[in-house]
Amino acid sequence: MTALLEVTDLCVDYSGLRAVDGLSISLAHGTIMGLIGPNGAGKTTTIDALCGFVPQVRGSILLDGHPIDSLPPHMRARAGLVRTFQSIELFVDLSVEENLLVATSTSRWWSPFVDAVAPRRHVHRDDVNLALDTVGLRSLATARPSDLSHGQRRLVGVARALASRPKLVLLDEPAAGLDPAETASLGQMLRNLPELGIAVLLVDHDMSLVLDVCDRLTVVDFGQVIASGVPMDVREDPSVISAYLGGGS
Amino acid sequence: MNADSDEVTDRSIDATEPLLRLRGMSAGYGGVAVVHDLDLHVGAGEVVALLGANGAGKTTTLLTVSGLLQRLAGELTVLGVEPPMGGRFAREKVALALVRKGLAYVPEDRALFFGLSGREHLRLAARRGDGEAIELALEPFPALAAIIDRRAGLLSGGEQQMLAIARALATRPRLLLIDEMTLGLAPIIVEQLLPRVAATARSTGVGMLLVEQHVKAVLTVADRAYVMVQGRIATSGQASEMNADSQELAARYLGAIPDRHQAGPSVNLSESSSPEGTTPAERREDGGDASG
Amino acid sequence: MAHYLQLSLTGLGAGAVVAVLAIGLVLTFRASNVVNLAHAAMGTYIAYVYYGLRNFNVASTQKGGNLVLPVFGVPGVVHLIDRPTVVTALAIALVVAALVGALVYLLVFRALRNAPPLARLVASLGLFLYLQAVMELRAHDIGAGAATLPLTSLLPNGVVRLGSVVVPTASFVLAGLAVTVAVVLGAVFRYTRFGLSTRAAAESEKGAILIGVSPDRVGLLNWIIASVLAGGAMIFVAGITSQLNPTQSSLLVVPALAAALLARLDSFAMATFAGLAIGVTQSGVATFQSQAAWLPSWLPNDGLRQALPVLLILVAITIRGAHLPTRASLVDSRLPVAPVPRRPWLWIPLLSGAAVVALYTLDAQWRLAIVVSVIAALIALSCVVVTGYVGQISLALYAFAGLAAFATAKLELAGVGFPWAPLVAVILTVVVGILFGLPAVRVRGMTLAVATIAAAVAIEQLVFNSPALNGLSGVPNPQLFGSNLGFLAPGAANFRPAFGVVAVVVLAASMLAVANLRRSPTGLRWLAVRSNERAAAAAGINVGSTKLSAFAASSLFAGLGGALLAYELPALSPQQFLVVGALAVLALTYLGGIATLSGALIAGFLASGGVLTRIQGGAAADTTTQYALSGILLILVAAFYPDGLSMAVRRAITRLHSVWLRGVRSRGAT
Repeated sequence: MTALLEVTDLCVDYSGLRAVDGLSISLAHGTIMGLIGPNGAGKTTTIDALCGFVPQVRGSILLDGHPIDSLPPHMRARAGLVRTFQSIELFVDLSVEENLLVATSTSRWWSPFVDAVAPRRHVHRDDVNLALDTVGLRSLATARPSDLSHGQRRLVGVARALASRPKLVLLDEPAAGLDPAETASLGQMLRNLPELGIAVLLVDHDMSLVLDVCDRLTVVDFGQVIASGVPMDVREDPSVISAYLGGGS
Repeated sequence: MNADSDEVTDRSIDATEPLLRLRGMSAGYGGVAVVHDLDLHVGAGEVVALLGANGAGKTTTLLTVSGLLQRLAGELTVLGVEPPMGGRFAREKVALALVRKGLAYVPEDRALFFGLSGREHLRLAARRGDGEAIELALEPFPALAAIIDRRAGLLSGGEQQMLAIARALATRPRLLLIDEMTLGLAPIIVEQLLPRVAATARSTGVGMLLVEQHVKAVLTVADRAYVMVQGRIATSGQASEMNADSQELAARYLGAIPDRHQAGPSVNLSESSSPEGTTPAERREDGGDASG
Repeated sequence: MAHYLQLSLTGLGAGAVVAVLAIGLVLTFRASNVVNLAHAAMGTYIAYVYYGLRNFNVASTQKGGNLVLPVFGVPGVVHLIDRPTVVTALAIALVVAALVGALVYLLVFRALRNAPPLARLVASLGLFLYLQAVMELRAHDIGAGAATLPLTSLLPNGVVRLGSVVVPTASFVLAGLAVTVAVVLGAVFRYTRFGLSTRAAAESEKGAILIGVSPDRVGLLNWIIASVLAGGAMIFVAGITSQLNPTQSSLLVVPALAAALLARLDSFAMATFAGLAIGVTQSGVATFQSQAAWLPSWLPNDGLRQALPVLLILVAITIRGAHLPTRASLVDSRLPVAPVPRRPWLWIPLLSGAAVVALYTLDAQWRLAIVVSVIAALIALSCVVVTGYVGQISLALYAFAGLAAFATAKLELAGVGFPWAPLVAVILTVVVGILFGLPAVRVRGMTLAVATIAAAVAIEQLVFNSPALNGLSGVPNPQLFGSNLGFLAPGAANFRPAFGVVAVVVLAASMLAVANLRRSPTGLRWLAVRSNERAAAAAGINVGSTKLSAFAASSLFAGLGGALLAYELPALSPQQFLVVGALAVLALTYLGGIATLSGALIAGFLASGGVLTRIQGGAAADTTTQYALSGILLILVAAFYPDGLSMAVRRAITRLHSVWLRGVRSRGAT
């Protein structure tokens, strides 16, 4: 069985520097992989490159066996590769529910003509409700992002990614700014995703969360993989301890 | 423009007077109080932690102390200054006056200048001709020194966080407020940063008020701590004592996020200790518009 | 070849003026995030001050030395000093410039510091209208009329010979001045504390305050500098061109905007280079056009000279742009709230019915006013779609309407019958609309707004000014199934209601379509793109095609409005579709509420010659005063009701409703 995501020798330049330098990752179906590393190691740039937000210099990205390197960001999302943002980036003009609905809507070039005469219905309401239930925010469906707490907004960001029923979701520091209780419930939710057929690539600095939910860890520094394996092994790796974890963890 | 003079009552600073004192202070947004009746003080060279679940009112407290938000009632004395209440452009004037008095505040959103390099941030923050301040600010962050000439917008989230703290240090503050200092920082940095910043505070006599999620880490370095629940101070005490039973602390005060029944997914961790539901205003607290 | 070189170098002087204006635009944008459309207008006022002071003749009794005041309700001029020297006059003028800069900041842009970018653009538009109107009035006060002002050049009269090429010294002096200003400002912004503070405060006011930089003080100083630069530039340019016309001088902001655009509203050096290049290119292109006999005869005389540099810049920025903003770019794209229209199927037909009844019961002047308002509302609706719903600030909509009007008229006059002529014209307009929407795929925010001004200028200079389109009249009345749907008729039957009904039906159908779109998946995608392009792409939305769909829809409505204009106006002329008109469309729609259907209606109601004008009793007594007042109104609305009047009304209704409900409940309780 082929891996869900197969990244080979990915190189990305960001602001004149080689931010990702020959990165290779293989992520199996139904797994949660942690991508960790020091600040500025190239984690977010990796997510940006996988989703097509920054051009890659070299390397190949296969999603479910199909190359997606040449696809623009929205096509990668439709192919089942979605992401969240460190800075959340909700659509502030839309309600929580609409934030999710828009991620599920499909469009052809003639859709505006149809919508002008007889507006189409939002056909994926079930997916949206499922995603809201998954993060536990169903009761806030009609709220505006500006009325939510920081933690709730993070969860809406995750729900928006889940609403389109992706194959793989890339989470960029979903626990940043969450308090311990919120983080714990986020972890609980993440563990349920493989059952829904959604694999996860998790970037976060909260080691209790990362160690708790991840099946495998990949550690990067200076854009290169310095260690990978199951969490128990990686956390004992001396290079990881000296570059990232420190003595306390 | 001359913010030091008018609008702000300047008291001569008493050596025994704490750098920061709140007495029965309430504050909030749009006239609705989010934090109530706070009593809190920070002395020179003292590191004080402000703990609490999200939505407890920690950020609101810091914003009010910084002058960017006006208090609604009670007393507030910051570095010998009592910020007044009222006036359209007054908040900005108050905040500027406090900065000139020696207050530094690292907000949760960092408020960096994306187009400026790290060095330019520090040059601007340091007093005129105070080149040493820049060295001092970079001291806790060896990693930052290497990328100091890059535009802030191009830095990673964690690097931006380091720059925000360094910028605050470059102003040579007497009172330093940091909201979520360790947000987005690698564990090894967190481990080194808190003791370093605390040591700086003690050696230079800077008073620090830290809002922090890493409860155990911050209690290890802090002198005292306050725990906020639902906009009120629920308990306070010596950090070492609190650290001894941090498990119980977390379970009693931090585990219960106010709107758990809404925010929480399938599992409910500790609904019992949430005394009552919250108003939308309280939930909005963390997203409150601080700069406006 | 030498001939071209000579003419090109002659253009250096004009280019230098464009360059200095562009530097000022970049400065205010970097300091306050304001694209100051009134930049050249502010400078023009300073030039008025200077020439007002210097307006004397040694031989005559005229003493000059009059200070022109920019305020209504006070005397137009104050006598300051008899026969001031050049230096004295220049010094006074520049001090006034500094004061004007300070006042503009303190009275207008200070309050808008935290307002959405669009609000600031609209406020600068208000300032533009106000200053222009004031100068129209003051022209009488400083002489027998603006054109007769003795505009002696401040610059040396000599020439420089380079081989066979002869160039006025003044051109080099001006170019040197522009480069010097750019170098100095560039160094100040890069190396000085003031420059750093300015950049910092523009990036994050909160961050600036937190390190003790007062954004207020920085803003004030920069506005003073910008105003002095604008004043200097306009004093010189008036000296070169020997004329001072409020409208034309104020519109010098357009080439300056093009130059600033190439500089990404960011680089002083690039703005200077682009400004000089525009001057030189224009000079060269003008010679080329006058000599190339093979160029088509419909090409306007001055067309290539005006349009070619602008078009080149449009292409350049489009190529240079990126599909999505980068992680590092902080785009403030806040726009007024865009509510889902409430019960459009109820109130749109009701209002339409009322309009039809009015058309058949009221007199001819009323019928004209209603039709004018309906067409204006249709054009405003195009603004609601593209700017209100998708956040793409477009100032080319009015040009699209003009295009449709001219195309319809031309086709009708060529014998193409009623439904077909407007149909083809509207399709053509949509195609052009999509074409000029292409830059929007790759540039965003204020840069796009400026790019659309450039596009409008290109259309105006290349098409509208064509001799082939001047004074089109005698467009036959539209006929359908044997009934006359025309508007114009001889005698008392003029302004026939049948045409009004057609216009009302077109508007109603368009509004219902927009209401449908807003609540459909397409509307959600539009708003998602408006909110956050990166997140939209991550959510699987094709950002580029979503923007283009909005440009297409918007040019469709603008085209419909234009096609109606072709039948409504007795004669079409280029003057009816100037860029200023485009600015007015945006301003009125913003006033009404740029993200609401009712905002478009309010814009139509307010439109000059529309229903409001009629209520006020026909042709307004003093259009200049009206312009000045609408300028002030714009600034006030931008500052206090950034969501527009329709949202203010909507909120008031909601409040009244809740009060009423409470009343009902309490009465029910007793």
